[in-house]
Amino acid sequence: MTTTLETPAGAAQLAPMPARTRVRKPLSRRLTVLIGQLVVLVVGLSAWQFLPMIPALQSLSHVFDSYFVSSPIKVATTVFNLATGSDNVVLIWPYMGQTVFASLVGTLIGLTLGALAGLVLSNFAFLSDVMRPFIVAANATPRVALIPVVVIIFGLSITTSIAIAVLVVFFVAFFNAYEGGTSIPPQIVQNARLLGASNVRILFRVRLQYALAWTITGLPLAVTFAIISVVTGEILTGYQGTGYLLSTASTTGNASLTFGVVFYLAVIGLVIVMGAEVVRRRVLHWWAK
Amino acid sequence: MIKEDSLKQSSVAVKDRAIQPLIEINDLSFSYVEGDPVLAGVDVTIEPGTIVGVVGPSGCGKSTLLSILAGLVQPTRGSVVWAPEDDATRHPISMMFQGDTLLPWLTVKQNVGLHYKLADRRLRPPATAQRERVETLIRLAGLNGAEDRFPYQLSGGMRRRTSFLSAVTPGPRTLLLDEPFSALDEPTRISIHQDVHDVIKQERITTLLITHDLAEAISLSDKVLVMTARPASVFKTFDIPFGEKRKMLELREDPEFLRLYGEIWEQLATQIQRAEAKKKK
Repeated sequence: MTTTLETPAGAAQLAPMPARTRVRKPLSRRLTVLIGQLVVLVVGLSAWQFLPMIPALQSLSHVFDSYFVSSPIKVATTVFNLATGSDNVVLIWPYMGQTVFASLVGTLIGLTLGALAGLVLSNFAFLSDVMRPFIVAANATPRVALIPVVVIIFGLSITTSIAIAVLVVFFVAFFNAYEGGTSIPPQIVQNARLLGASNVRILFRVRLQYALAWTITGLPLAVTFAIISVVTGEILTGYQGTGYLLSTASTTGNASLTFGVVFYLAVIGLVIVMGAEVVRRRVLHWWAK
Repeated sequence: MIKEDSLKQSSVAVKDRAIQPLIEINDLSFSYVEGDPVLAGVDVTIEPGTIVGVVGPSGCGKSTLLSILAGLVQPTRGSVVWAPEDDATRHPISMMFQGDTLLPWLTVKQNVGLHYKLADRRLRPPATAQRERVETLIRLAGLNGAEDRFPYQLSGGMRRRTSFLSAVTPGPRTLLLDEPFSALDEPTRISIHQDVHDVIKQERITTLLITHDLAEAISLSDKVLVMTARPASVFKTFDIPFGEKRKMLELREDPEFLRLYGEIWEQLATQIQRAEAKKKK
């Protein structure tokens, strides 16, 4: 038989899966890092809580006035009240539901449309040349400036929030998918052609996967953008969602409520981005950057 | 696509197919629209079932020759004449590229069977035949046990084995190898040479191998062509007498191998010198 210097079927070689192995830093190092992080947290919160109690600083700037900046203890109380609806504070859940729903639906629609557009344009050079200036111009336009237009078209409804998210996510997905579709090494396309593939089959069997991979890579970013734009829209229209709560809080001068809502927004953002990251890892385990 | 000009058939050639060349490259020339010629009158005759190795100075135009044969580039002058094929459904040509062509989201098995996913439905064999073919090839190239792994879980050598099999799966009449193993270390390369050689011979695939590595060319080929400095034409041709049962590890210490290496290197060196001299001008 053949001489195998390199043993491809060796059992020892099969065990490790490179992508799964992660080098962990020693425990002592991880502990000191954790302690450092706790120190930063405690110092920051203490400064927020206690600096505004110094009268000399209060007269210096509003930043040191607890009427404007609230305090960690008051914010924590508000956060609790927002969750339970106690102490005459509104329940945050229905508002949060509206924001999250609009962001997720908007991301889904924007991602699908953007990925499709990017894929098609990456496969047809002529179309891409024709469309390029329009896309560059559209992308350079601040999407937030279009919110009034969207409001006029869809009125004050959940559709408006979704449309705003779609508007923003579409371009993120589009550019990623386009990049993915065009960045395929040329020999991969040539090889596919020599193996008997038609242009259409290359589109569906080769380019689509690259475009999808790049689109999903951009998922965490797309979701973040969606939340930002939806909340911005809600603040501007003052119609519903956490953005509505924020605008009410600021017009009534309720700093604790503002910070409380911001806290929930931060949590939403974190959870959704982490979720998107998990999806990305699962689907793209083969994707080495 | 590949032009299959029908060969002018004399009655003799039809009777005696064995001596009829599969590919006849006549006076093949190529130059870019602006710039010096790359190929200047390449003449090569390739017998069916043989492996022809092509060596030459860096940048002499070897890869351009392959691109023309693959139909990726049109020659400026000259012709490539392919012997007519009895079986119209036979896959005409495959190529193994220098760069990675594995699709990263497919397993080894799926990559080896890539042709079946890409080719026209009418040209695909039944599913069971597809599976058997892929399994047989994987066993031949020593990839068994790794069938369900993804490319990122493979060593460099295993990736190259998979790429090679992917090109062989359609049962091509001609296989083009473009510096396929240049990125591998020596022991891995010699091990791959054995399997690649055996599979090509077993499958009776006519093969053109472009390489920088003279030892690789001699190990794998039945005939080695030394190209001139750019613009390239064939400078010298050498027959390699080791046959189909050659053993790569033993070959390296065979006095005949060493003698041939010296003899061909002497010719190759003159062309490398010429290429260097031209660069300095």
